[in-house]
Amino acid sequence: MRQSMSKRENSGKTVGVIAVLVGLFILPVLVSAGWLSLITEMLILALAACGLNLMLGYAGMVSFGPAGFYAVGAYATALILINTELPFALAFAAGPLFAAGAAVLIGWFCVRLTHVYFALLTLAFAQIIHTIIFEWYAFTKGDNGIVDIPIPEVLKPITHYYYFSFIIIVLCLALLWMIIKSPFGKTLQAMRENAQRAESIGINVRLYQLSTFVLSGFFLGVAGSLFCGFNKNVFPNYAHWGKSTEMLVVCLLGGIYNFFGPIVGSIVYLFLDKVITSYTQYWPLVLGMIIIILLLFLRGGIAGFIGERMALRQRRGGQA
Amino acid sequence: MTFQGIIIQILSGISTGMVIFLIAVGLSLVFGTLRILNLAHGTLYMLGAYLCYWISSLLTQVSGSFWWSILLAPVGVAVFGGLIEVLLLRRIYDREHLDQYLLTFALVLVVGDLCKLAWGVDYHLVPAPWPLTGPVFVMGMPFPSYNVFLILCGPLVFIGLWALIRYTRLGMVIRAMTYSREMANALGTNVPLIYTVVFMLGCWLAGLGGTLVVPTASAMPGMDMIVLIECFIIIVIGGLGSLSGAFLGSLIFGLVNAFGILVAPRLAVAFAFILMIIVLIIRPWGLMGEPE
Repeated sequence: MRQSMSKRENSGKTVGVIAVLVGLFILPVLVSAGWLSLITEMLILALAACGLNLMLGYAGMVSFGPAGFYAVGAYATALILINTELPFALAFAAGPLFAAGAAVLIGWFCVRLTHVYFALLTLAFAQIIHTIIFEWYAFTKGDNGIVDIPIPEVLKPITHYYYFSFIIIVLCLALLWMIIKSPFGKTLQAMRENAQRAESIGINVRLYQLSTFVLSGFFLGVAGSLFCGFNKNVFPNYAHWGKSTEMLVVCLLGGIYNFFGPIVGSIVYLFLDKVITSYTQYWPLVLGMIIIILLLFLRGGIAGFIGERMALRQRRGGQA
Repeated sequence: MTFQGIIIQILSGISTGMVIFLIAVGLSLVFGTLRILNLAHGTLYMLGAYLCYWISSLLTQVSGSFWWSILLAPVGVAVFGGLIEVLLLRRIYDREHLDQYLLTFALVLVVGDLCKLAWGVDYHLVPAPWPLTGPVFVMGMPFPSYNVFLILCGPLVFIGLWALIRYTRLGMVIRAMTYSREMANALGTNVPLIYTVVFMLGCWLAGLGGTLVVPTASAMPGMDMIVLIECFIIIVIGGLGSLSGAFLGSLIFGLVNAFGILVAPRLAVAFAFILMIIVLIIRPWGLMGEPE
């Protein structure tokens, strides 16, 4: 009976996902350009947050510096487009690859440490990336950022860029889903629960952690490249700790123990951002209070909360 | 560069280091005892700086108003910190690290914005107080006498804290709790009370740092995160939770900063970062810390 229920639950989930995908596909017909651009932004942030959550929620590695890889992706794409004649596809692909490369280098150091030390080292490296971008005027144009990045004519209308991002993001999320459901993903969760025990059954914890670090960096890089093309400008604050915490908050807001958590979090976060900043400049104040309330009263985030409610209802239904 | 110039640079490095020591040691103390990495520590330092400016501007008619600020502003920060501990932090001690980071980060946002609401986004400078207005001469080179005062403050606080931890009953309990929280609890220590006291002490130190920095660097928005990251560097170099480590780390940080500015003005903070990374790789528990 349990099996049939979990099957029913799964098929419900599948139907839900397909409905959302179809909805997102026909969306450009329904909403204005302003909303479409906001939704594109939401999707990109959702991808970044899901990439981070692979580390955070599944492998239990708290990183304070995801924005570093996001910025590497964005700047790699931007610099190639500005300085070379290479086609857009190559420049775009370079973003995630450079981000993954940076993650190999940085991760190699970071996975040697645990807990607070790990978190601090990721923060330190992200700050170094920020400092390099900020101070290396000759190459990155420093705090002026790189503006007016040439992207192909075909991607310039927001509807086209929306579809482009939509396809890339859905592919990436599907990939992430497959990673999480694979033996690799299960191993990560085992490590999260108890790293020592995982080690004792012959799992090379450091290697797994490094792989997670690099995968996470890769997806953050994809998000950075996508945002670079979306915004057509890149700035050093993409690597700032503020951006990193934004991603952390998005994960937490949605719920880190749920695959869809960061996606929900991203939607809610950017929506609130839009609404509240139109009323007051003190958005951080409101955000801070939201986080406090969330932590004290809504553990598990929004997706966790809804999931709990649904499980409760299902259990009641099963009993009746 | 002349020999005198190097001496002046060393002195200014030490004075920067000694102010940051006050802040870093508070962060380290709180971490060592409460096992919470308080991201809002820098924000409490900023609150101290604003309170100092505010009290000084209220008391412009009173002579020695700055000395009143030094007395009152850190206490104000400590009281505020006590409220935070009792109302918020206390609920999340048994949670995961991530929840603790996020709660304290939320405080960064809230308190930072409240400071903006109260005092605006302008820079607020309070002049150095009498009798520390003029320069002193070190081998013929002028050096601000206020910075000499800062250099003295660091060792004073260091000795005070060391004596507190070494010789008082409170210090003994703190040591016991750092060693084993459960055991201290089982032996009848009032753990929640000690937590509040230690957190308030940490906040007082942050507030003192904030107060002292106003005559040299002014109170301004954004100062909180700069100092927080510097404190991270220092306590990682020195060792999390170690008093002497914070002192040594601050000295090293101040000196690296002072000479880094000479070599590459814009990349000074990167040198400290690199130092921290080297320490983390060679001795992850810090120069004066102990491996867990």
